[in-house]
Amino acid sequence: MGKYVLKRIVLAFMMAFIILSVTFILVKLLPFERPIGGDAQQIAYFDKQFHLGYVFRFNVEKPELGRLLYKSPADHGVSNYYYQVPVFQQYGNWLRNIITKWDWGVSKTYMPNVAASTIIMKRIGYTIRLNIFAVLFSVPTGILLGIWAALKKNKITDHIISTMVMVFISIPSFVLISFVIRIFGYDLQWLPTSWPPDSASWGVRASGYIIPVFCLSFGSVCYYCRYIRAELCEVMESEYLLLARTKGLTRRQAIVRHALKNALVPIFPVMLSEFIGLLGGSMVLEQLYGIPGIGKLFVLSLGYKDYDILFVDMAIFTTMSLLFGILVDLSYGFIDPRIRMGAKK
Amino acid sequence: MKKTLALLMVLAMVVALLAGCKTPVDPTPTTNPTTEPTVTDEPEVTPPPMADWDGKYIERDDYKAYIKHDLDFLYATIKDQLGDSAAAVEAAVQAGAQAIDFAGTVAEIRAAYANAYQAILDAIPTYEGVATYKKLPNSERTTILGILERYAVTTGITGISLFENGGYVMYNPRITLGTENFIVGYGFGVLPEGNITEDLEYETNEAWKRYYHIEEHDDPGTLNYLNDQGAVVGDLYGYMAASFFTNFMNATKDGYDWVPELAKEKPVAVNDDDADGMCTTWRFEVRTGDDGLKYTTASQMADRAAFNNRPVALEDYEYAFKLLLTQSNQLYRGSELANTKSGAIAGAKAYYDGTAEGENEELWANVGIKTYNEGGKNYFEVTFKEEQTQFYCMYYIASSLYMPIPKEFVDLVTVTNYCGFDKNATTTPVDNSLVVGPYYVERYDADQQIVYAKNPNYVFADTKYAIPGIHVKIFTAAKEDTNAVFNEFIAGHFDVAGIPQEYLNEYRNDPRTRSTTGTSNFKLNVNATSPETWEYLFGEEGVVTQTPKEDYWESKPCLANRHFVKALSLSIDRLTFANARGSIPSVDYLASNYMIDPENGISYSVTEAHKKAVEGLLEDTDGYGFSLELAREYFRVALTELEAEGAYTPGTKENPTVIHIEIAWMYPTHEELYHNEIKNFLETAFNDESVCGGVYQLSVDFWVGNDWSDVYYNKMMVGQFDIGFGSISGNSLDPIGFVSVLSSDQEISGSFTLNWGVDTNDPDAYPIVYEGYRWSFDALYNAVNSKAIVAQGQNKASLTFEYTPIVKNDDGSYTGTLTVKATLPDLTKFNVTSIACCNYERYYNGDGTYDEFELTDFTCEDQGNGVYVITFTVPADIAADYATGSGTSENPTGYTGFDFYYDLEFDGDTQSTYYSVSEDHFIVD
Repeated sequence: MGKYVLKRIVLAFMMAFIILSVTFILVKLLPFERPIGGDAQQIAYFDKQFHLGYVFRFNVEKPELGRLLYKSPADHGVSNYYYQVPVFQQYGNWLRNIITKWDWGVSKTYMPNVAASTIIMKRIGYTIRLNIFAVLFSVPTGILLGIWAALKKNKITDHIISTMVMVFISIPSFVLISFVIRIFGYDLQWLPTSWPPDSASWGVRASGYIIPVFCLSFGSVCYYCRYIRAELCEVMESEYLLLARTKGLTRRQAIVRHALKNALVPIFPVMLSEFIGLLGGSMVLEQLYGIPGIGKLFVLSLGYKDYDILFVDMAIFTTMSLLFGILVDLSYGFIDPRIRMGAKK
Repeated sequence: MKKTLALLMVLAMVVALLAGCKTPVDPTPTTNPTTEPTVTDEPEVTPPPMADWDGKYIERDDYKAYIKHDLDFLYATIKDQLGDSAAAVEAAVQAGAQAIDFAGTVAEIRAAYANAYQAILDAIPTYEGVATYKKLPNSERTTILGILERYAVTTGITGISLFENGGYVMYNPRITLGTENFIVGYGFGVLPEGNITEDLEYETNEAWKRYYHIEEHDDPGTLNYLNDQGAVVGDLYGYMAASFFTNFMNATKDGYDWVPELAKEKPVAVNDDDADGMCTTWRFEVRTGDDGLKYTTASQMADRAAFNNRPVALEDYEYAFKLLLTQSNQLYRGSELANTKSGAIAGAKAYYDGTAEGENEELWANVGIKTYNEGGKNYFEVTFKEEQTQFYCMYYIASSLYMPIPKEFVDLVTVTNYCGFDKNATTTPVDNSLVVGPYYVERYDADQQIVYAKNPNYVFADTKYAIPGIHVKIFTAAKEDTNAVFNEFIAGHFDVAGIPQEYLNEYRNDPRTRSTTGTSNFKLNVNATSPETWEYLFGEEGVVTQTPKEDYWESKPCLANRHFVKALSLSIDRLTFANARGSIPSVDYLASNYMIDPENGISYSVTEAHKKAVEGLLEDTDGYGFSLELAREYFRVALTELEAEGAYTPGTKENPTVIHIEIAWMYPTHEELYHNEIKNFLETAFNDESVCGGVYQLSVDFWVGNDWSDVYYNKMMVGQFDIGFGSISGNSLDPIGFVSVLSSDQEISGSFTLNWGVDTNDPDAYPIVYEGYRWSFDALYNAVNSKAIVAQGQNKASLTFEYTPIVKNDDGSYTGTLTVKATLPDLTKFNVTSIACCNYERYYNGDGTYDEFELTDFTCEDQGNGVYVITFTVPADIAADYATGSGTSENPTGYTGFDFYYDLEFDGDTQSTYYSVSEDHFIVD
């Protein structure tokens, strides 16, 4: 078992390394941007890129370095020639700094000169809190709705719940939030229309969680509901539950003591998978509601072309996803003793 | 007898024939400008028999009317400035009109126009000599700008203007605006002159309830404008910055005044020796701690807080410039300041280039920035590279980038962290900024909010900026939802918002709504090149850019036809288009905020010169350049001409010839936002049955690149387009300088030419006449902005150089020649003083300088008429040394060049300068 876990962790890190490397290279292959402006602006811009280590600056032409990005007007007969630093050279520098100094670089444009890891650490709390609240809301709500639907199987309650589930499971959280903000924020004015700043009172800040948590978890609520309903319906039709009833247990006792216990067993791996899904969903949602988390940061750093932040953010999302994947696999073994991880035949 | 009679009859017939068949008036005009008009004295001319009309889409008389209109328009364009040529030109115009009347076919009519055009050109002498109109009164310079603009509009190099980016904006009723009417170039004066009279209910922090609540889409992550290239940081930095001079609304609330802010007086000329109001060195008294001026910071950190209320020292003003210009500080705006041409400070570039490793006091001594105390007064003195008026001295030096800052504070917080966060984000811009402006940073919550509070130490704290603070919410939702800001405003969360397109009808007339003018006019820029011109500009050996054969762009003949382009312009219903988007319909090239008299706040758009320049675009239209009928008429004219020249062959109604035009846009969203409606305008106008009966069809296609700037760099600036959407904005206080971007000369336009097809240095391209002489656009542009050397009406350099590469001699030495030709020999004295040889890689010192070898063996032969031939020899040992390889690159020879130092006396000015040849090679044996 221990060997299996270790192997999975090593593989996860290898996978993360490959994902980050491919991302780095693909992102760096994007066309080089130029500002609109005269020579003074162009020189200033390319000098800045030179200082940031993104371009080479020579006073002679170097065709072997590929496409010339910019040639400054001649001064004293000499121009500056700017070429992009080869992507693999940038990759080598980036990797060396991480391995030798655990230096993930600094922000270039988003928060100039601030360490990328610092920026992430300052924001990760918002995202984690948001997602934990979303799980805390979605799991019980989804389970309760699922149980209710199962208990009222093929009755009007079940039909309403099932229909609602089908509708809401199809709506992405970032679409849903627009409607929710419109109704509860602008029209009814019950809740904040955007994320309250840290300077706001405790009450206002707490109310700021309601809309994003609700929208982020709504898909999960539907998923849990559907899952639990299906599991419970299956268990309730099983023979051992019939046996329990014939032994004299009330319907409530049979469901609570036997049916629910078995139906809830597979939900834990599903919860872990859903958490990973929530992280992905929070990216756009954070942007729309103005939550200063790492999901929004991911989108912003892409827009800013602030790649050092992007790669740390990417590393966190990738690592979390892979580790949760391992946890999901391991959880099967804990929940169902019949499953043995890495056991030999 | 019969024979005699017959002979007499034949003789009579010949005489009669000779008398009756008087040749039409020779359209070739006289070149003598003093010739009196004679047309009115001549007897009635009988027209010759006309050839059959060969135009299919327009009647002959109608076509003639349009061509004659072109001739009349041309005459109207130049007649005010003709001087002695007036009579000859009038005669040429009348003769041309008559020749058009007598012409039969399309080709004949066009030839008649061409002859008349040439006759007009011949009648007006071209300018020769040196011209400088920079010091002319503003009214006269406005006239010249009008002449340049009319030329640009007529030749199509301004593109097809669509709209100005102004529009409608709503203010919370709790805001008292400085003025109810928008002041061009100033605004409503919300912060300096406005006030807030009620609390914002939504704000939960009691202290901020009367702050001005606005938003930014993104957190810029820094307030360090010195190292930022965008506009957002500039705005945010601007709240807390003060400058030497600023603008405040005038007493009548219809304009603004320039007011000393950190300065105590307007600049005083130091070296205006010729008393013309222009000079290079200006000085003015500045406020310091002696006057009670103090710094402010809200930092609670002891070391930073120690600077709060610290008096401003005189040397802090000088340090602000040194901070910017020291290259090792790696500040974006410093590089920009060092490399700028407009308002360049003497010695700034040399200092910047020489400070890659840190400050250099020796070089700083040559920079045109000085502070000193004289007679108990604190002075700031600036020396520009070129002479400036008092106003432009104020303008160039008024930037908030030059706000004073103590060196000790920058040393404490470091240049890297100045006005920003430190690497671990433990200090914020609150801790790392020290200001003297109207507000200071009170709180900075990254990605959430930036809060400013009123600075009690500000110079005008008692009389201006009554609003106690500014709350900037970072509102990223606005990036995803174009209505988000407006929704927040309506909910009472923000104090100001623009009105989105879909709410325009509902809120346009709301009492909270105000209209504003814009800062930029957006246009459809046109590639009007012929294949030959395109090849010259962008082909494999293009002068603008070099394009491989397989990537050649196919120029569209229709876009080279001015009538066709005019028809496109007339097809666009700008009023409907702009109204639907909350912007301002416009046919102008320059937006309303371009000030012809910035000191008095007079926009160029209200001048008579401008109105005359654009009258051709507005004639017989709805007032915004739209007339569907006229557009169709001009399409008929254009198709008639294009067919006559063989550019297009008509199809059939069932299978029409399709004319494809591609419009390149910035963003994919522009397809829905702009393209579809523009496409509809153009196709509706052209594809109407009445234009050509359906034998041609116009198809307008959409293009968008990966990045918004692709439309500039990958399309318009490299000729890979038919029509491209875009706009260039420049210095709004210098519209005469800004029209440089219309030039086809890349040195003048700074490589920002967006419309192609006209050589703007060709005085024959379309007549520009000023004070009786013909000019090219480039020549008159240079004359009005600085100094032009003009020959045959064209802009020229004082000297032209022709280098013949070095050739190896038998003894191992090398010989080369440089031929120098003076454009105006009578005004030129040339003397070469030395020649230096340099290997640019091997002898580069790393600080922008090079070790050079001075050649002593050279001759300079004066061949007369301004031609000088310099023959020089590089000794064998030097050549061998340079040919052995640079050792610093993979190139075995490195790049060897020559600097030819010379003294030039031109038109009374003397200068010592050099000409460089940068790429020659010695042969590696």
